[in-house]
Amino acid sequence: MSLAKWTVGLLAGMSMLALAAPADAGEVRVTVAEYSAKTGPYFEEVKKEFEAANPGITIKYEVVPWDVLLQKLTTDITAGTNADLSIIGTRWLIDFVQQDVAEPLDSYIKPEFKDRFIDTFLSPSIMDGHTYGLPIAASARAMYYNKELFEKAGIAKPPATWTELQEDARKIKAIGAFGFGLQGKEIETDVYYYYAMWSQGTEILNKDGTSGLSTPGALEAAKLYKSMVDEGLTEPGVTSNNREDVQNLFKQGKVGMMITAPFLSNQIKEEAPNLKYGVAAIPAGPTGARGTYGVTDSIIMFKNSKNKDEAWKLLDFLFTKEQRAKFTQGEGFLPVNKEEAKMDYYVNNADLAAFTALLPDARFAPVIPGWEEIAQITSDAMQKIYLGSAKPEDALKEAADKANAVLKKK
Amino acid sequence: MQSRIMPYLLTLPSLLLAAVVIFWPVWDLIQISTHDVNRFGQLREFSGLANFTELFADPDFVAALWRTGLWTVLVVGGALLLSIPVAMILNMDFYGRGLARVIIMLPWAVSLTMTAVVWRWALNGESGMLNSALMKLGLISQNIQWLASAETAFPMQVLIGILVTVPFTTTIFLGGLSSIPDDLYEAAALEGATPFQQFREITFPLLKPFINIAIVLNTIYVFNSFPIIWVMTQGGPANSTDILVTHLYKLAFRIGKLGEASAVSLVMFAILLVFTMIYVRLAMREQRA
Repeated sequence: MSLAKWTVGLLAGMSMLALAAPADAGEVRVTVAEYSAKTGPYFEEVKKEFEAANPGITIKYEVVPWDVLLQKLTTDITAGTNADLSIIGTRWLIDFVQQDVAEPLDSYIKPEFKDRFIDTFLSPSIMDGHTYGLPIAASARAMYYNKELFEKAGIAKPPATWTELQEDARKIKAIGAFGFGLQGKEIETDVYYYYAMWSQGTEILNKDGTSGLSTPGALEAAKLYKSMVDEGLTEPGVTSNNREDVQNLFKQGKVGMMITAPFLSNQIKEEAPNLKYGVAAIPAGPTGARGTYGVTDSIIMFKNSKNKDEAWKLLDFLFTKEQRAKFTQGEGFLPVNKEEAKMDYYVNNADLAAFTALLPDARFAPVIPGWEEIAQITSDAMQKIYLGSAKPEDALKEAADKANAVLKKK
Repeated sequence: MQSRIMPYLLTLPSLLLAAVVIFWPVWDLIQISTHDVNRFGQLREFSGLANFTELFADPDFVAALWRTGLWTVLVVGGALLLSIPVAMILNMDFYGRGLARVIIMLPWAVSLTMTAVVWRWALNGESGMLNSALMKLGLISQNIQWLASAETAFPMQVLIGILVTVPFTTTIFLGGLSSIPDDLYEAAALEGATPFQQFREITFPLLKPFINIAIVLNTIYVFNSFPIIWVMTQGGPANSTDILVTHLYKLAFRIGKLGEASAVSLVMFAILLVFTMIYVRLAMREQRA
């Protein structure tokens, strides 16, 4: 082989390496959960702006629907092919931390950065004093009510207690609509039950760490829902309706009241702009106790990431006020950034004000391993109760035993 | 000598392929199912058959096991019963046969998940098509909540299962029917055999090998079929429509018990293996006799 050919070959090889190298070194892969049709386009926009401002770093997304996110992460991590960053449900974080796949971010977080966040939303991502994730999305639940149905039924204001809610539901039933939309299928079926349970002063976990499902308060709450199902105060076929189904009924004006997240406002604006609705607090129990469900999703960095510094740059960019505002407003979440929360959009928004007013009563999913299993056990028990295939006492007792077994295992 | 090794040499490439795509995952499953594993599939200490005993102590698993049997028998049986007459009609010469064949085959062309999604909408209690159709026909006076309980949801799932299994089964039978020579029927007709006698004495016996194939293949597909039940009810309410695959999926990817999920997977594999071996042996013995 002649020398010329050698050089050509070598040069070709080197240029290939040169081409390949930066793509590898500065590439940040991100697994993104698809919250809505706006998620993908938003992150593409981020990619454009970020890459223009940070030459040498490229971003690659894997946009995954929520339903299969945990499955994808499980298989990716098992195979060692996970991305550098991923959005996860904060309730899964403890598993990621315990299995040592999440990178603590403390060394990157400057006081200035930490100060951007509203504490309520950052704290669920902190474990044993280390920050393992940043709240990319935050949400809470409040009660939506249909003003037109309320007017027709002669109800002056949204119910403040569950007893009032029952009476209002009867009045709404009398005019031929469904009083209270009760979710009985798929994700968050258990959460829908906790609203009633928290108002009885019962928590998911008792102080001694056992399941709260066997307490009198839990039984009271289950009986309340069951009696409403039996009395026809809810929509029929509760166990065939997931959150979206109930929301659809609400958008169609068939349901008087339902409890759900702020994103319903965005959906109504687009799909049912003529619907007259209001947002109110979740009703309180006899002692005045009430609770809403607070949720955050975290974006985490994986321990095996090879481009941690680049990945951090992206995180820093994502959590600037402008980026946060664009994302949060598009998806209909609550602001996690202090400066962002002061923007007119949030301050002058009556719907969102109702949600933020409930934040002091917000409960986040307890940080325990096996939480998903306990949620599943609770949902199953609720379905049995709604269907009438088990008495509330028996179903709750069985669920509490199962949950306690899960809790003890760890 | 060479001729004795030759067959093995010739099957070696496909055996290697099978080893990679079948034996290796099965080996992996055995590993996972006999160890204590974390939710990301990393193995911890060896735990013997603990995952299996835990499984059989779980009433939800046992219920799902029986329901899978019921589901498979009903769907495969229903599809067979429906497909034989359909195939015989489509085998006859009539005007528009091509169109009729296309219509029968269409459900096959649509992805199973899409079919299930469409049915989920159609069966929606308040805004579903089925309820409004039945209402207009005057057959029901108030909406039926199809998916709210297993009593209505599971039979509907079986019906949809049958619907999507018919095209494939019909195709097999059409192939079988076209291999039966026409002169057999002509001769039988000359001898005065009624159409039913012709079916019993000619069509059915000659179709038998095809029926056997249809049973084995359909059983394997239906036993493992995930989308219909998952999309419509996710095995709910309260696990009352769970079959083994949906139970497995929940165990693995919702709850993160990969060890038990692998055990379910192996149980399913064993059941299908045993079924296929017994069935093929029985069918072959019958053919030889």
